Amino acid sequence: MPIATSNFLVPNFTIVFELIAFLIVLGVIGWFVLPILDKMLTERQEQIRSELEAADKAKEDAEEADTERRRALEDARSQAREIIAQATTTADQIVTGSEARAQEEYERIVRSADAEVAVARQTAVDEVTSKVGVIVLAAAERVVGREIRASDHQDLIDEAIAAVRSESEAGAPAGGTR
Amino acid sequence: MSGAGTLVARPLLANISVGDHVLVRFLGFNLDADLLWSTGVAAVVTIVLGLWARARATSGVPGKFQLCWEITVTATQKQVESSIGPRGAKIVPLALTLFVFILVGNLFGIVGLGATYDVLLPPAADINLPLALALFVIVLVHIASVRSRGIVGYVKHYLAQPFPIFLFPFNLFINVVEELAKPITLALRLFGNLLSGGLMLALLAYLVNWRLGIVPVGGILFIVFDPVWKLFDLLIGVIQAFIFALLTILYFDTAMSDVH
Repeated sequence: MPIATSNFLVPNFTIVFELIAFLIVLGVIGWFVLPILDKMLTERQEQIRSELEAADKAKEDAEEADTERRRALEDARSQAREIIAQATTTADQIVTGSEARAQEEYERIVRSADAEVAVARQTAVDEVTSKVGVIVLAAAERVVGREIRASDHQDLIDEAIAAVRSESEAGAPAGGTR
Repeated sequence: MSGAGTLVARPLLANISVGDHVLVRFLGFNLDADLLWSTGVAAVVTIVLGLWARARATSGVPGKFQLCWEITVTATQKQVESSIGPRGAKIVPLALTLFVFILVGNLFGIVGLGATYDVLLPPAADINLPLALALFVIVLVHIASVRSRGIVGYVKHYLAQPFPIFLFPFNLFINVVEELAKPITLALRLFGNLLSGGLMLALLAYLVNWRLGIVPVGGILFIVFDPVWKLFDLLIGVIQAFIFALLTILYFDTAMSDVH
């Protein structure tokens, strides 16, 4: 093909075909490409917006649930504190009542024991007392070498018994109840 | 790159020149066959990329390819929205297509080894494509201005500013010069940057023939600087495509604004 030199600043008829080529490209891009890309962009923006709204809603729900959880936790703590306080009071009451009952029981047992001790001592004293006269007479018979009649020496027996009594009373613990 | 056609056909030691094209005759007119070829390839590539994006488009998680398109579309929409407002929504396809189409064409500059071996010159490296795009944009800008301001407002815009209305001849002169300068500057900015980038690649390719004795100094310099310049050229291509689309939006903004 021929080579021609021309003024490079002066256009020729090629400019028409250049323009036609551009118009074809403009038509394809403007009618077939750009609307689709624009539609995809719009759809994606809409999708992102709805997802953001959903995320905001989920965040609000989560915050609400967290608030509810904190409130429930605080209620539970409050209830726990009340229960502990109530239990402490009840325990104190139980301990106090138990101590009182134990003290009463203790005192009752002590009193009962004292009474039994007193009865036993009295019984022992009575037994000793009843036998002292015989023993005294037997001892005296052996000392004097003859029979002694109780009726004749009643004064002596009574003295011995009184002595035993006084000794037994003197041997009893101080306070008399123990 | 203007002149790539010449360099394809000429030997390596040929002089570097611009404005040379492979010509074909069509309906009695001369057409630059090399420019039509590269423009056609750029158009097909842009359309294929667009239709591929359309076929793979999803409203779910986008792939990298769709993401690139969506970033470009979103950036264009935001730029139009911030400059013109909701009224400018119809400008988005034009600005987007301008950016992608010019960008694809500009990337041809990094294909091949430069100049002599290039089979695809960047279409914007010739005045025809930038001027066609600039004229098309400016015509649409004026149509938008008339639709936005009405005929009276449109005419008044050229007569009543920047000076008071009684100085309308000066106002008209200044505004007409400004309006004529718009497509020319818009076209020449893109064309000049791409042309100079191509010329630099041609110069680098020309260096290959420079030897000092048996040492291929030019070849070494070519190997070092050609990739560097192509990276730089790639950046220039992206920037110029962006500037063209941005200026288009700003021209529409000026034309559709209520403030004169």
